[in-house]
Amino acid sequence: MLGHPALRYLILLITGVVFQRAVCVQFDLDGTTPDVLLVLAIAAGIVGGTERGAIVGFFAGMALDSISVTPFGLGAVAYMGAGALAGWMEGTIVHSARWLTMVVAFVTSALGVTAFAVIGSVLGQSQMLSDHLLQVVLVVSIWSALLVIPATRACRWAETYSDRFRPAMR
Amino acid sequence: MPNSRRRGRARFTIVLLVLTSIVLLTLDGRGSGPLSSVRSAALSVLSPVGDLASTIFSPVRNAWSGAFEQDDLEIENERLQEENDRLKGELTASSVSKEQLQQLLQLVGIPFVGDTPVVHTRVVSGTIGNFGETVELDKGSSSGIEKNMPVITGEGLIGKVVQVSADRSVVALITGGSFNVNFNVVGTPAIGTAQGTGSATILRGGSIDVRQSISPGQIVVTSGLLGSPFPPNLPIGTITALRTDEAARETSVDITMFANTRDLTYADVVLWKPVG
Repeated sequence: MLGHPALRYLILLITGVVFQRAVCVQFDLDGTTPDVLLVLAIAAGIVGGTERGAIVGFFAGMALDSISVTPFGLGAVAYMGAGALAGWMEGTIVHSARWLTMVVAFVTSALGVTAFAVIGSVLGQSQMLSDHLLQVVLVVSIWSALLVIPATRACRWAETYSDRFRPAMR
Repeated sequence: MPNSRRRGRARFTIVLLVLTSIVLLTLDGRGSGPLSSVRSAALSVLSPVGDLASTIFSPVRNAWSGAFEQDDLEIENERLQEENDRLKGELTASSVSKEQLQQLLQLVGIPFVGDTPVVHTRVVSGTIGNFGETVELDKGSSSGIEKNMPVITGEGLIGKVVQVSADRSVVALITGGSFNVNFNVVGTPAIGTAQGTGSATILRGGSIDVRQSISPGQIVVTSGLLGSPFPPNLPIGTITALRTDEAARETSVDITMFANTRDLTYADVVLWKPVG
């Protein structure tokens, strides 16, 4: 049961929410903090492909929506896009270098944050498209590039299905 | 063939998730109760975790702040010193009108909410995520705090309550720009609407009738017009820049806030609800 990917991703999501709520806010840089839920969506896309990235991104964004005050569903749609895009990019680039994974994380993170702000402004949150956006995109993307390596390891753990109790239950 | 089937399934999943997101956004836009309850529950559950992490990580946070914000603190210190000197000077100047004097006295510590009760709170956390500037306070509905109540510091208005659980509340800061504040320029009949710009101290005010005579340095307070979510006369800031659009027949202003929302330790929630 505990070996099922869905359950393991749920554990990662809960850990991500706690980490975002409790730890990331401590690393505030002029109003900008790392976004581990976005990193988790991107890492899931890199490890599990487009569909996995979209699903994990959707739930990661929804988790962010539930702990912030931005419109509910905005994080879900933006992070779903970032996760799916990371999966698509990883699938089209043939590589094994770690730095390329970091580049994918940087680019998809930048696009995810920009999509968040653009959709938010369409929904009436026009202040999201302020001068501050450039700083947010840059800082969040750098953090994402740094955090994506441990995050992909965590996602690989989540993807490995190993139900040790199954033989005993037969 | 299996590849194209997988791609088709991925496309179907993405479309389904987009539709679900649209439904969630629509429900939220209509102020759906269940979504609000989800947020209140998350606030209640995660608050103790946040407090614990804040204690554990405080040395790391201090080191981080020290490394990146030392210059800002020095500039802020100088600015406050200048502001203090300026206010002292203005207080003693004979040309200060009665209303302005009253406002300035309020700024140096005399309560400006009159008999309206306030709940003193401590700021326990900053913004979660990178949009929608908020702070979390250590008191909630059990202390009488309700959604939409104004929040002030000793210097002036900083925002309004947007989420409440039993012992926590979340305040949307006025600087975030997610809501407007109706204001009045002290000593004039000029009224307008101010909104945050993303800056920690600057608001943008507009919709001021071009015929009103206003100038930089004048004090801006909440107007408390009927239906406004804020009571009248809460200090907001001073006018620092002025632009006139003759075609639109309106003046817009930059307002430098009295309160600095990037440096909050304590805040007071005014137990005030709009009439009607």
